[in-house]
Amino acid sequence: MRDFLKGSSFKVLAITVVVLLGLIIYTASAGGSLIASLLGFVSAPMQSVATEVTDNVTEFLDLDGLSKDELKGMVSALQEENSQLHDKLIDYTQTKQENERLKVQLHISEQAPETEMRSASVIGRDPNDPFSGFSIGIGTLSGVSEGDPVITDKGLVGIVSRAYATTSKVDCLLSEDVKVAAVSIDKQESGLIGCNITMASSGLLRLSYLKGETAIAEGDIITTSGEGGVYPANLKIGTVQSVEKSETDVSKYAVIRPFEDLSSVKEVQVIISFPGQGEDDAVTAEPGPDDSEEDGE
Amino acid sequence: MRDLNRIIRSLAYILELLVLFMLQETPGLLPPVYGVRPVLVLPAAAVIAMLEDETGAMAFGVAAGLFCDFGYSGVLGFHALVMGVLCFGVSLLVRAFLQVNPVTAVLVGIGVLGVMFGAQWLFFYFFNYSSPGYALRIHYIPKYFYTLIFVPLLYLVNKALAESLPSGA
Repeated sequence: MRDFLKGSSFKVLAITVVVLLGLIIYTASAGGSLIASLLGFVSAPMQSVATEVTDNVTEFLDLDGLSKDELKGMVSALQEENSQLHDKLIDYTQTKQENERLKVQLHISEQAPETEMRSASVIGRDPNDPFSGFSIGIGTLSGVSEGDPVITDKGLVGIVSRAYATTSKVDCLLSEDVKVAAVSIDKQESGLIGCNITMASSGLLRLSYLKGETAIAEGDIITTSGEGGVYPANLKIGTVQSVEKSETDVSKYAVIRPFEDLSSVKEVQVIISFPGQGEDDAVTAEPGPDDSEEDGE
Repeated sequence: MRDLNRIIRSLAYILELLVLFMLQETPGLLPPVYGVRPVLVLPAAAVIAMLEDETGAMAFGVAAGLFCDFGYSGVLGFHALVMGVLCFGVSLLVRAFLQVNPVTAVLVGIGVLGVMFGAQWLFFYFFNYSSPGYALRIHYIPKYFYTLIFVPLLYLVNKALAESLPSGA
Protein backbone atom coordinates (compact mmCIF):
# COMPACT_ATOMS: atom_id res chain seq x y z
CA MET A 1 0.00 0.00 0.00
CA ARG A 2 2.80 2.37 0.95
CA ASP A 3 4.58 1.54 -2.31
CA PHE A 4 1.42 2.25 -4.23
CA LEU A 5 0.95 5.64 -2.55
CA LYS A 6 4.56 6.56 -3.34
CA GLY A 7 4.31 5.31 -6.92
CA SER A 8 4.15 7.58 -9.93
CA SER A 9 0.75 6.27 -11.06
CA PHE A 10 -0.88 7.36 -7.80
CA LYS A 11 0.66 10.82 -8.17
CA VAL A 12 -0.75 11.03 -11.71
CA LEU A 13 -4.16 10.01 -10.38
CA ALA A 14 -4.04 12.64 -7.63
CA ILE A 15 -3.01 15.37 -10.08
CA THR A 16 -5.77 14.33 -12.52
CA VAL A 17 -8.40 14.42 -9.78
CA VAL A 18 -7.32 17.91 -8.70
CA VAL A 19 -7.29 19.20 -12.30
CA LEU A 20 -10.74 17.73 -13.02
CA LEU A 21 -12.17 19.17 -9.80
CA GLY A 22 -10.84 22.55 -10.92
CA LEU A 23 -12.43 22.02 -14.33
CA ILE A 24 -15.79 21.20 -12.74
CA ILE A 25 -15.70 24.35 -10.62
CA TYR A 26 -14.58 26.48 -13.55
CA THR A 27 -17.19 25.26 -16.05
CA ALA A 28 -19.97 25.25 -13.44
CA SER A 29 -19.29 28.89 -12.66
CA ALA A 30 -18.08 30.27 -16.00
CA GLY A 31 -20.41 28.35 -18.34
CA GLY A 32 -19.06 27.53 -21.81
CA SER A 33 -15.42 26.63 -21.92
CA LEU A 34 -12.60 26.36 -24.38
CA ILE A 35 -12.47 22.56 -24.04
CA ALA A 36 -16.17 22.21 -24.84
CA SER A 37 -15.76 24.43 -27.90
CA LEU A 38 -12.77 22.36 -29.05
CA LEU A 39 -14.73 19.13 -28.61
CA GLY A 40 -17.52 20.76 -30.59
CA PHE A 41 -15.13 21.66 -33.42
CA VAL A 42 -14.05 18.00 -33.62
CA SER A 43 -17.38 16.27 -33.19
CA ALA A 44 -19.94 18.63 -34.78
CA PRO A 45 -19.06 18.06 -38.49
CA MET A 46 -19.00 14.28 -38.04
CA GLN A 47 -22.23 14.34 -36.03
CA SER A 48 -23.90 16.42 -38.76
CA VAL A 49 -22.96 13.91 -41.44
CA ALA A 50 -23.99 10.92 -39.31
CA THR A 51 -27.33 12.55 -38.47
CA GLU A 52 -28.06 13.42 -42.09
CA VAL A 53 -27.30 9.90 -43.30
CA THR A 54 -29.44 8.40 -40.53
CA ASP A 55 -32.32 10.77 -41.29
CA ASN A 56 -32.27 9.86 -44.98
CA VAL A 57 -32.21 6.14 -44.27
CA THR A 58 -34.94 6.44 -41.64
CA GLU A 59 -37.14 8.50 -43.95
CA PHE A 60 -36.71 5.95 -46.74
CA LEU A 61 -37.54 3.03 -44.46
CA ASP A 62 -40.50 4.82 -42.88
CA LEU A 63 -42.11 5.50 -46.28
CA ASP A 64 -41.63 1.92 -47.38
CA GLY A 65 -42.94 0.62 -44.06
CA LEU A 66 -46.45 2.07 -44.48
CA SER A 67 -49.12 -0.32 -45.68
CA LYS A 68 -51.78 0.57 -48.27
CA ASP A 69 -54.50 0.78 -45.60
CA GLU A 70 -52.34 3.04 -43.45
CA LEU A 71 -51.72 5.34 -46.41
CA LYS A 72 -55.44 5.42 -47.21
CA GLY A 73 -56.24 6.26 -43.59
CA MET A 74 -53.62 8.97 -43.62
CA VAL A 75 -55.02 10.51 -46.82
CA SER A 76 -58.61 10.53 -45.53
CA ALA A 77 -57.51 12.08 -42.23
CA LEU A 78 -55.59 14.76 -44.09
CA GLN A 79 -58.55 15.46 -46.37
CA GLU A 80 -60.80 15.92 -43.34
CA GLU A 81 -58.28 18.19 -41.69
CA ASN A 82 -57.92 20.12 -44.95
CA SER A 83 -61.67 20.67 -45.08
CA GLN A 84 -61.70 22.01 -41.51
CA LEU A 85 -58.76 24.26 -42.28
CA HIS A 86 -60.61 25.70 -45.29
CA ASP A 87 -63.47 26.72 -42.99
CA LYS A 88 -61.01 28.27 -40.57
CA LEU A 89 -59.28 30.07 -43.45
CA ILE A 90 -62.52 31.77 -44.42
CA ASP A 91 -62.99 32.96 -40.82
CA TYR A 92 -59.39 34.06 -40.70
CA THR A 93 -59.63 36.05 -43.94
CA GLN A 94 -62.77 37.83 -42.78
CA THR A 95 -61.22 38.60 -39.38
CA LYS A 96 -58.03 39.84 -41.02
CA GLN A 97 -59.96 42.17 -43.33
CA GLU A 98 -61.94 43.50 -40.40
CA ASN A 99 -58.72 43.95 -38.44
CA GLU A 100 -57.18 45.94 -41.29
CA ARG A 101 -60.26 48.18 -41.49
CA LEU A 102 -60.15 48.79 -37.74
CA LYS A 103 -56.44 49.56 -37.87
CA VAL A 104 -57.07 52.21 -40.50
CA GLN A 105 -59.95 53.67 -38.50
CA LEU A 106 -57.94 53.73 -35.25
CA HIS A 107 -54.69 54.90 -36.95
CA ILE A 108 -52.68 51.95 -35.63
CA SER A 109 -49.45 51.42 -37.51
CA GLU A 110 -47.87 47.97 -37.62
CA GLN A 111 -44.40 47.56 -36.15
CA ALA A 112 -41.72 46.46 -38.57
CA PRO A 113 -40.73 42.88 -37.79
CA GLU A 114 -37.39 42.81 -36.07
CA THR A 115 -37.16 39.12 -35.29
CA GLU A 116 -33.88 37.61 -36.42
CA MET A 117 -33.54 33.86 -36.77
CA ARG A 118 -30.93 31.26 -37.68
CA SER A 119 -31.70 27.83 -39.12
CA ALA A 120 -30.05 24.81 -37.55
CA SER A 121 -30.12 21.03 -37.69
CA VAL A 122 -30.35 18.81 -34.65
CA ILE A 123 -27.01 17.00 -34.68
CA GLY A 124 -27.20 15.11 -31.41
CA ARG A 125 -29.43 13.80 -28.67
CA ASP A 126 -27.57 12.69 -25.60
CA PRO A 127 -28.81 9.42 -24.11
CA ASN A 128 -27.94 10.70 -20.63
CA ASP A 129 -30.54 13.47 -20.77
CA PRO A 130 -33.87 12.27 -19.31
CA PHE A 131 -35.67 15.32 -20.71
CA SER A 132 -34.94 14.88 -24.46
CA GLY A 133 -32.55 17.82 -24.76
CA PHE A 134 -30.58 18.06 -27.98
CA SER A 135 -27.58 19.68 -29.66
CA ILE A 136 -27.74 21.90 -32.74
CA GLY A 137 -25.03 22.59 -35.28
CA ILE A 138 -24.66 26.34 -34.75
CA GLY A 139 -23.18 28.32 -31.88
CA THR A 140 -21.81 31.66 -30.83
CA LEU A 141 -20.02 32.12 -34.16
CA SER A 142 -23.48 32.26 -35.78
CA GLY A 143 -24.80 34.73 -33.22
CA VAL A 144 -26.49 32.19 -30.95
CA SER A 145 -26.34 32.88 -27.23
CA GLU A 146 -27.67 31.25 -24.08
CA GLY A 147 -31.36 31.95 -23.53
CA ASP A 148 -32.32 32.18 -27.21
CA PRO A 149 -35.72 30.59 -27.95
CA VAL A 150 -35.76 27.62 -30.34
CA ILE A 151 -38.76 27.00 -32.58
CA THR A 152 -39.96 24.96 -35.55
CA ASP A 153 -42.74 25.74 -38.00
CA LYS A 154 -45.09 23.94 -35.58
CA GLY A 155 -44.18 26.07 -32.58
CA LEU A 156 -41.86 26.57 -29.62
CA VAL A 157 -39.58 23.64 -28.76
CA GLY A 158 -37.13 24.98 -26.19
CA ILE A 159 -34.35 27.34 -25.24
CA VAL A 160 -30.57 27.41 -25.76
CA SER A 161 -29.01 26.41 -22.44
CA ARG A 162 -25.33 26.36 -23.48
CA ALA A 163 -23.75 28.03 -26.49
CA TYR A 164 -20.30 26.97 -27.67
CA ALA A 165 -18.42 28.16 -30.74
CA THR A 166 -19.98 25.86 -33.33
CA THR A 167 -22.61 23.94 -31.39
CA SER A 168 -25.28 24.69 -28.81
CA LYS A 169 -27.25 22.70 -26.27
CA VAL A 170 -31.01 23.11 -26.23
CA ASP A 171 -33.24 22.36 -23.25
CA CYS A 172 -36.59 21.37 -24.70
CA LEU A 173 -39.97 22.17 -23.18
CA LEU A 174 -40.03 18.72 -21.55
CA SER A 175 -37.22 19.79 -19.22
CA GLU A 176 -38.04 20.80 -15.67
CA ASP A 177 -35.60 23.68 -16.11
CA VAL A 178 -37.74 25.37 -18.77
CA LYS A 179 -40.63 27.61 -17.74
CA VAL A 180 -42.66 29.58 -20.26
CA ALA A 181 -45.29 32.24 -19.64
CA ALA A 182 -48.22 31.13 -21.76
CA VAL A 183 -51.73 32.21 -22.60
CA SER A 184 -54.83 30.64 -24.09
CA ILE A 185 -55.61 32.61 -27.22
CA ASP A 186 -59.26 31.52 -27.04
CA LYS A 187 -59.92 32.41 -23.39
CA GLN A 188 -57.14 34.95 -22.74
CA GLU A 189 -56.19 33.16 -19.52
CA SER A 190 -52.56 32.85 -18.69
CA GLY A 191 -50.41 30.41 -16.78
CA LEU A 192 -46.95 28.94 -16.64
CA ILE A 193 -45.88 26.10 -18.91
CA GLY A 194 -43.61 23.58 -17.22
CA CYS A 195 -43.00 19.88 -17.09
CA ASN A 196 -41.83 17.06 -14.86
CA ILE A 197 -40.43 13.61 -15.54
CA THR A 198 -43.81 11.87 -15.34
CA MET A 199 -45.36 14.15 -17.95
CA ALA A 200 -42.16 14.29 -20.01
CA SER A 201 -42.23 10.51 -20.39
CA SER A 202 -45.63 10.92 -22.12
CA GLY A 203 -44.48 13.93 -24.16
CA LEU A 204 -46.95 16.24 -22.42
CA LEU A 205 -46.63 19.67 -20.77
CA ARG A 206 -48.35 21.27 -17.81
CA LEU A 207 -49.95 24.73 -17.81
CA SER A 208 -50.02 25.62 -14.11
CA TYR A 209 -51.54 28.38 -11.96
CA LEU A 210 -54.93 28.49 -13.67
CA LYS A 211 -57.81 29.87 -11.64
CA GLY A 212 -60.12 27.40 -9.90
CA GLU A 213 -62.96 28.53 -12.15
CA THR A 214 -60.87 28.55 -15.31
CA ALA A 215 -62.68 28.63 -18.63
CA ILE A 216 -59.87 26.83 -20.41
CA ALA A 217 -61.14 23.62 -21.95
CA GLU A 218 -60.01 20.72 -24.10
CA GLY A 219 -58.92 21.81 -27.56
CA ASP A 220 -57.91 25.38 -26.63
CA ILE A 221 -54.71 26.58 -28.26
CA ILE A 222 -51.88 27.72 -25.97
CA THR A 223 -49.23 30.22 -27.10
CA THR A 224 -46.45 32.16 -25.44
CA SER A 225 -47.61 35.36 -23.77
CA GLY A 226 -44.33 37.27 -24.14
CA GLU A 227 -44.26 38.07 -20.43
CA GLY A 228 -40.76 38.45 -19.05
CA GLY A 229 -39.15 39.07 -22.42
CA VAL A 230 -37.63 35.58 -22.59
CA TYR A 231 -39.83 34.36 -25.45
CA PRO A 232 -41.60 36.38 -28.13
CA ALA A 233 -45.37 36.54 -27.81
CA ASN A 234 -47.71 34.36 -29.86
CA LEU A 235 -45.43 31.39 -30.45
CA LYS A 236 -47.58 28.27 -30.70
CA ILE A 237 -47.02 25.69 -27.97
CA GLY A 238 -49.84 23.15 -28.07
CA THR A 239 -53.47 22.32 -27.40
CA VAL A 240 -55.20 21.58 -24.13
CA GLN A 241 -55.76 17.86 -23.67
CA SER A 242 -57.47 18.06 -20.27
CA VAL A 243 -57.90 20.34 -17.26
CA GLU A 244 -57.12 18.88 -13.83
CA LYS A 245 -57.27 20.07 -10.23
CA SER A 246 -53.90 20.94 -8.69
CA GLU A 247 -52.60 18.46 -6.11
CA THR A 248 -51.44 21.20 -3.74
CA ASP A 249 -53.96 24.06 -3.80
CA VAL A 250 -57.30 25.23 -5.23
CA SER A 251 -55.86 26.18 -8.60
CA LYS A 252 -56.10 24.03 -11.68
CA TYR A 253 -53.66 23.00 -14.34
CA ALA A 254 -54.07 22.04 -17.97
CA VAL A 255 -52.34 19.12 -19.64
CA ILE A 256 -50.95 20.37 -22.94
CA ARG A 257 -50.07 18.27 -25.95
CA PRO A 258 -47.35 20.16 -27.86
CA PHE A 259 -47.83 20.76 -31.58
CA GLU A 260 -44.30 19.55 -32.19
CA ASP A 261 -43.08 16.06 -31.29
CA LEU A 262 -40.36 17.31 -28.95
CA SER A 263 -38.45 14.05 -28.80
CA SER A 264 -37.87 13.80 -32.55
CA VAL A 265 -37.29 17.35 -33.79
CA LYS A 266 -34.81 17.47 -36.68
CA GLU A 267 -34.71 21.03 -38.02
CA VAL A 268 -35.12 24.14 -35.87
CA GLN A 269 -34.87 27.92 -35.98
CA VAL A 270 -33.07 29.85 -33.25
CA ILE A 271 -34.51 33.31 -32.53
CA ILE A 272 -31.40 35.34 -31.82
CA SER A 273 -33.25 38.64 -31.37
CA PHE A 274 -36.86 39.76 -31.19
CA PRO A 275 -38.76 42.89 -30.20
CA GLY A 276 -39.05 43.13 -26.43
CA GLN A 277 -36.23 40.69 -25.73
CA GLY A 278 -35.10 40.98 -22.13
CA GLU A 279 -37.87 43.37 -21.19
CA ASP A 280 -40.12 42.59 -18.26
CA ASP A 281 -43.31 43.91 -19.82
CA ALA A 282 -45.52 41.98 -22.16
CA VAL A 283 -44.73 42.20 -25.84
CA THR A 284 -48.08 42.69 -27.50
CA ALA A 285 -48.91 44.75 -30.54
CA GLU A 286 -52.52 45.39 -29.63
CA PRO A 287 -53.35 47.70 -26.72
CA GLY A 288 -55.83 45.27 -25.13
CA PRO A 289 -57.22 45.46 -21.60
CA ASP A 290 -55.36 43.80 -18.75
CA ASP A 291 -57.87 41.06 -18.25
CA SER A 292 -55.58 38.41 -16.90
CA GLU A 293 -52.94 38.01 -14.24
CA GLU A 294 -49.71 36.78 -15.71
CA ASP A 295 -47.12 34.62 -14.05
CA GLY A 296 -43.53 35.65 -14.56
CA GLU A 297 -40.92 33.45 -16.13
CA MET B 1 8.44 -1.03 -32.31
CA ARG B 2 6.47 -1.95 -29.22
CA ASP B 3 6.22 1.72 -28.23
CA LEU B 4 4.94 2.43 -31.71
CA ASN B 5 2.32 -0.26 -31.21
CA ARG B 6 1.27 1.39 -28.01
CA ILE B 7 0.91 4.78 -29.71
CA ILE B 8 -1.13 3.28 -32.54
CA ARG B 9 -3.29 1.38 -30.07
CA SER B 10 -3.91 4.53 -28.04
CA LEU B 11 -4.92 6.44 -31.17
CA ALA B 12 -7.23 3.57 -32.12
CA TYR B 13 -8.86 3.73 -28.67
CA ILE B 14 -9.40 7.48 -28.97
CA LEU B 15 -10.86 7.03 -32.45
CA GLU B 16 -13.08 4.25 -31.11
CA LEU B 17 -14.37 6.49 -28.31
CA LEU B 18 -15.06 9.29 -30.81
CA VAL B 19 -16.97 6.96 -33.14
CA LEU B 20 -18.95 5.48 -30.24
CA PHE B 21 -19.75 8.98 -29.02
CA MET B 22 -21.13 9.87 -32.43
CA LEU B 23 -23.13 6.64 -32.57
CA GLN B 24 -24.72 7.27 -29.19
CA GLU B 25 -25.46 10.91 -29.94
CA THR B 26 -26.89 10.51 -33.46
CA PRO B 27 -30.67 10.72 -33.23
CA GLY B 28 -32.48 7.67 -34.60
CA LEU B 29 -29.39 5.53 -35.12
CA LEU B 30 -29.63 3.25 -32.09
CA PRO B 31 -33.23 2.23 -31.45
CA PRO B 32 -34.64 3.43 -28.14
CA VAL B 33 -35.81 0.71 -25.74
CA TYR B 34 -38.33 1.88 -23.14
CA GLY B 35 -37.52 5.38 -24.37
CA VAL B 36 -33.80 5.20 -23.57
CA ARG B 37 -30.66 4.71 -25.62
CA PRO B 38 -27.29 3.25 -24.55
CA VAL B 39 -24.22 5.25 -23.51
CA LEU B 40 -21.53 3.41 -25.46
CA VAL B 41 -18.39 5.28 -24.42
CA LEU B 42 -18.67 4.19 -20.78
CA PRO B 43 -18.47 0.40 -21.28
CA ALA B 44 -15.79 0.96 -23.92
CA ALA B 45 -13.62 2.84 -21.41
CA ALA B 46 -14.27 0.14 -18.79
CA VAL B 47 -13.07 -2.71 -21.04
CA ILE B 48 -10.09 -0.67 -22.26
CA ALA B 49 -9.17 -0.20 -18.59
CA MET B 50 -8.97 -3.99 -18.22
CA LEU B 51 -6.39 -4.15 -21.00
CA GLU B 52 -4.17 -1.17 -20.15
CA ASP B 53 -1.95 -0.12 -17.24
CA GLU B 54 -3.55 2.12 -14.64
CA THR B 55 -2.29 5.45 -16.03
CA GLY B 56 -3.45 4.61 -19.55
CA ALA B 57 -6.74 3.28 -18.21
CA MET B 58 -7.32 6.49 -16.32
CA ALA B 59 -6.52 8.60 -19.40
CA PHE B 60 -9.08 6.75 -21.54
CA GLY B 61 -11.59 6.91 -18.69
CA VAL B 62 -11.11 10.67 -18.51
CA ALA B 63 -11.48 10.94 -22.31
CA ALA B 64 -14.72 8.92 -22.29
CA GLY B 65 -15.99 10.97 -19.37
CA LEU B 66 -15.21 14.24 -21.15
CA PHE B 67 -17.24 13.07 -24.14
CA CYS B 68 -20.15 12.34 -21.79
CA ASP B 69 -19.74 15.71 -20.09
CA PHE B 70 -19.73 17.49 -23.42
CA GLY B 71 -22.77 15.61 -24.69
CA TYR B 72 -24.87 15.93 -21.57
CA SER B 73 -24.33 18.49 -18.92
CA GLY B 74 -22.02 21.19 -20.21
CA VAL B 75 -20.33 21.01 -16.80
CA LEU B 76 -17.06 19.46 -17.88
CA GLY B 77 -15.24 17.21 -15.47
CA PHE B 78 -17.87 15.26 -13.54
CA HIS B 79 -18.08 12.16 -15.73
CA ALA B 80 -14.36 12.53 -16.51
CA LEU B 81 -13.49 12.48 -12.81
CA VAL B 82 -15.68 9.51 -11.93
CA MET B 83 -14.65 7.50 -15.00
CA GLY B 84 -10.96 8.36 -14.51
CA VAL B 85 -10.95 7.06 -10.95
CA LEU B 86 -13.08 4.01 -11.80
CA CYS B 87 -10.89 3.00 -14.75
CA PHE B 88 -7.75 3.47 -12.64
CA GLY B 89 -9.27 1.14 -10.04
CA VAL B 90 -10.42 -1.39 -12.63
CA SER B 91 -6.93 -1.57 -14.13
CA LEU B 92 -5.32 -2.13 -10.72
CA LEU B 93 -7.94 -4.68 -9.73
CA VAL B 94 -7.66 -6.68 -12.94
CA ARG B 95 -3.86 -6.75 -12.80
CA ALA B 96 -3.79 -7.81 -9.16
CA PHE B 97 -6.75 -10.16 -8.70
CA LEU B 98 -8.69 -10.93 -11.87
CA GLN B 99 -8.30 -12.63 -15.21
CA VAL B 100 -9.02 -10.83 -18.45
CA ASN B 101 -11.96 -12.70 -19.92
CA PRO B 102 -15.55 -11.96 -21.01
CA VAL B 103 -17.03 -12.85 -17.62
CA THR B 104 -14.72 -10.41 -15.87
CA ALA B 105 -15.62 -7.80 -18.49
CA VAL B 106 -19.31 -8.19 -17.74
CA LEU B 107 -18.63 -7.99 -13.98
CA VAL B 108 -16.53 -4.87 -14.49
CA GLY B 109 -19.29 -3.42 -16.69
CA ILE B 110 -21.92 -4.11 -14.02
CA GLY B 111 -19.81 -2.33 -11.42
CA VAL B 112 -18.56 0.64 -13.46
CA LEU B 113 -21.90 1.39 -15.13
CA GLY B 114 -23.72 0.96 -11.82
CA VAL B 115 -21.47 3.47 -10.06
CA MET B 116 -21.49 5.90 -13.02
CA PHE B 117 -25.24 5.93 -13.59
CA GLY B 118 -25.85 5.94 -9.84
CA ALA B 119 -23.62 9.01 -9.47
CA GLN B 120 -25.31 10.62 -12.46
CA TRP B 121 -28.74 10.05 -10.97
CA LEU B 122 -27.65 11.28 -7.54
CA PHE B 123 -25.77 14.43 -8.56
CA PHE B 124 -27.64 15.47 -11.70
CA TYR B 125 -31.19 14.34 -10.95
CA PHE B 126 -31.88 13.62 -7.28
CA PHE B 127 -30.81 17.03 -5.97
CA ASN B 128 -32.31 19.02 -8.85
CA TYR B 129 -35.59 17.58 -10.08
CA SER B 130 -38.84 16.04 -8.88
CA SER B 131 -39.81 12.34 -8.72
CA PRO B 132 -36.27 10.87 -8.54
CA GLY B 133 -37.63 7.36 -7.92
CA TYR B 134 -39.72 7.51 -11.07
CA ALA B 135 -36.75 8.83 -13.06
CA LEU B 136 -34.61 5.99 -11.76
CA ARG B 137 -37.23 3.47 -12.82
CA ILE B 138 -38.04 4.78 -16.28
CA HIS B 139 -34.70 6.25 -17.35
CA TYR B 140 -31.62 5.24 -15.38
CA ILE B 141 -32.28 1.52 -14.81
CA PRO B 142 -33.39 0.78 -18.41
CA LYS B 143 -30.37 2.77 -19.67
CA TYR B 144 -28.09 0.76 -17.37
CA PHE B 145 -29.26 -2.61 -18.69
CA TYR B 146 -29.37 -1.44 -22.31
CA THR B 147 -25.77 -0.18 -22.05
CA LEU B 148 -24.67 -3.37 -20.31
CA ILE B 149 -25.66 -5.41 -23.37
CA PHE B 150 -22.81 -3.84 -25.34
CA VAL B 151 -20.06 -4.86 -22.87
CA PRO B 152 -19.26 -8.30 -24.37
CA LEU B 153 -19.10 -6.93 -27.91
CA LEU B 154 -16.86 -4.03 -26.88
CA TYR B 155 -14.68 -6.42 -24.89
CA LEU B 156 -14.14 -8.65 -27.93
CA VAL B 157 -13.31 -5.68 -30.19
CA ASN B 158 -10.84 -4.13 -27.75
CA LYS B 159 -9.29 -7.45 -26.79
CA ALA B 160 -8.62 -8.16 -30.46
CA LEU B 161 -7.16 -4.68 -30.88
CA ALA B 162 -4.89 -5.08 -27.84
CA GLU B 163 -3.65 -8.50 -29.00
CA SER B 164 -2.95 -7.33 -32.53
CA LEU B 165 -0.91 -4.38 -31.26
CA PRO B 166 0.91 -5.69 -28.16
CA SER B 167 3.24 -3.49 -26.17
CA GLY B 168 6.18 -4.37 -23.92
CA ALA B 169 5.51 -5.35 -20.32
